[in-house]
Amino acid sequence: MRALTILFLLLSVLTVSCTETDLSGPSSNDFDRQAMLENWADNIIIPSYEAFSGHMATLHADAEAFTTTPNQTTLDQLRNSWETAYLSWQNVSQFEIGTAAQIRYRDNMNIYPVNTTELEKNIADGSYNLSLPAENDRQGFPALDYLLFGLSTNDGDILDYYTTHQNANGYKTYLLALTERMKGLTDTVLDSWETGYRDEFVQNSGNGANSSVDMMVNDYVFYYEKVLRAGKIGIPAGVFSGSPLPTHVEAYYNQELSKALALEAIDAAQAFFNGEYFDGNGSGESLKSYLDFLNTMKEGADLSNRINTQFESARSQANSLSSNFRVQINTDNSAMLSTYDQLQRNVVFLKVDMLQALNINVDYIDADGD
Amino acid sequence: MKISRLLFISILSISFISCGISTDNDIDLDIPADYTFTRNGSSSVSFSGQTTRIKMATELVSAMMAFDTSTEESLLEMFRNETSQGGDADPFADAELNASTKSIKSKVAASADFYSANTTESAEIKADFEAWISAQVNEVFPNEDSLARPGVAGQIADGSSTRYVSAKGLEYNQLVAKGLIGALMTDQMLNNYLSVSVLDAGSNQQDNNSEVLVDGQNYTNMEHKWDEAYGYLFGASQDPANPLATLGDDNFLNKYLGRVVDNPLFSTVGVDVYNAFKTGRAAIVASEYDIRDERANIIRDRISAVIAIRAIYYLQAGKDALSGTEKDFGAAFHDLSEGYGFVYSLQFTRIPGTNTPFFTRSEVEGFLNDLMGDGENGLWDVTPQTLDDISASIAAKFNFNVEQAAS
Repeated sequence: MRALTILFLLLSVLTVSCTETDLSGPSSNDFDRQAMLENWADNIIIPSYEAFSGHMATLHADAEAFTTTPNQTTLDQLRNSWETAYLSWQNVSQFEIGTAAQIRYRDNMNIYPVNTTELEKNIADGSYNLSLPAENDRQGFPALDYLLFGLSTNDGDILDYYTTHQNANGYKTYLLALTERMKGLTDTVLDSWETGYRDEFVQNSGNGANSSVDMMVNDYVFYYEKVLRAGKIGIPAGVFSGSPLPTHVEAYYNQELSKALALEAIDAAQAFFNGEYFDGNGSGESLKSYLDFLNTMKEGADLSNRINTQFESARSQANSLSSNFRVQINTDNSAMLSTYDQLQRNVVFLKVDMLQALNINVDYIDADGD
Repeated sequence: MKISRLLFISILSISFISCGISTDNDIDLDIPADYTFTRNGSSSVSFSGQTTRIKMATELVSAMMAFDTSTEESLLEMFRNETSQGGDADPFADAELNASTKSIKSKVAASADFYSANTTESAEIKADFEAWISAQVNEVFPNEDSLARPGVAGQIADGSSTRYVSAKGLEYNQLVAKGLIGALMTDQMLNNYLSVSVLDAGSNQQDNNSEVLVDGQNYTNMEHKWDEAYGYLFGASQDPANPLATLGDDNFLNKYLGRVVDNPLFSTVGVDVYNAFKTGRAAIVASEYDIRDERANIIRDRISAVIAIRAIYYLQAGKDALSGTEKDFGAAFHDLSEGYGFVYSLQFTRIPGTNTPFFTRSEVEGFLNDLMGDGENGLWDVTPQTLDDISASIAAKFNFNVEQAAS
């Protein structure tokens, strides 16, 4: 916190000439934060979770069908529902607040790369406690990715793991345990929103560090910076290491889904910024309308426009990538780096300019990595 | 850069330099562009023993987290590089380390200035490390698959990472890693190899004056001692003659010098230390021993400050982790375990121009008792006030404050 506070203060002094917020006129206290919280909860967050929960139920049902009768048909069905659910996940991953934060929801659902050695050990041992923090990288979507696409290079061999393999039962049991857990966690989070947390979230409409807006914005910016920009693009492209890490792409074993997942995430992030209803039928109060209310400008243009334009640029650049990020990295990593650069520009707009305008302090540290 | 900040940094820098400012403008030292010193066309610089010990420490700390393969015996053998009976051991993955006769333990709390006449305290310190190593195996390993809670060792989430802590929230691997920064690297540098008693031992000065070399080597004894101090800081650098570009090449003193340098308020510390080493070494070649000793004091000042700054940094980071509506114990335990190790290392610092550390062992033990003593479960119970009090006590002996060190 300290490093960012001092840096933030210094930057505030330096950027006051670049990000203009009126000293007279509307103040952040005049904005209807509660209306924004209601729009977020009722029109975006809860509907997103309801949709995702439905897809998780289907995923688990298809896993049951597959483990009962493992064959090419049930495998294909399961793979399809995994893909649908994984895309849908990109809409809720950014809302790691409340119960989701308490149960470390995202870490249980989507830590990659999967640790295949330990995963295989779990299956061989037959005993494991998936709720332990160390088990993050042996469950969730990436673990399913491995179990459905990564066990071998052809479907026939993959199916053998669930039919003729001497521990076929172990594989089936584990796969089912994963989908059951993912569904259970999802239901817990949705349940919390629908039976009490929604009201708590909406009523905590003040302006301090523990207010809903403050926490949600921090979670959103963290998600954008670490999960979207770094997790999906930057880390695989080698921005944070000596060389590219194609093993660190999302949907590594499936191979063809990486780009689709990234685009879905960019869409969801932009939609949240603009307060667009999840069902697509309108929009409500949002970070965009908040910034516009405050007349926040950046170098002569509305900050909200700059942010949206930057989302467009990032999407456009990401669109030009191969659907298979492993291939993209190995044939032309510079395109991944360009995508990263476009995503990075919005980090500045969101984390520095927007937070300053809304009078919100960053609540997470860029850890040492010690 | 704002004028006030420039002024601030200059004032800090000036106040760091110890009182005996040298008037060596009139002496013509041949100071090379980088840390390269030669004799008859080959290098006269050597610090292989230090590089070896850094590698040993690296393997040891890593092995403390190898739940499936390490045992109490294997870890202690890595610390001692011998069996419990004193026989030859091969505990390392690196064959060269196994072949070496050097060990971490023999140079822990082993400086001439602090411990040659205090073997009792030296033995206690070595025993501290062995206790942490054993505790990792006996307390934490068995609880690998348990969730940590007050009074129970186990694993705990720190963001997406997993930490393994004792019943009182301590990561023993961090205690060993950060404790060795003090007990091995800092103590050997500041209180042994940069010490007059070691540099001028026996006929070192005479030999250095007449370029009498160590048998079979290309250096004088004095040159070598100085280089060995350098080796504990830069011995694992990719390019040891130009180490500042890649600070972080090891996970010990080198890494944390880099962290301190990253703080704009202390950005010159790396260059200060490097230049002091280089100039001091050139002074040795020119037999200018007063200059050599002035440079040694600059190094003592800066390195002692690095230890203190990082101690405060981690105590404050731990405090921040415990300050939300929901205390983040996992993050706090990680920060505070590192902080524990740096606080422990304060007893190996050196007040320039004196023969004493910035904090005695007894004072350090006081800090650590405070850190662990707010309740019966150690770090589970520590209060922000306690963390602030310890931080303030440390900062009080330096020319920076808690907020600056924590930033």
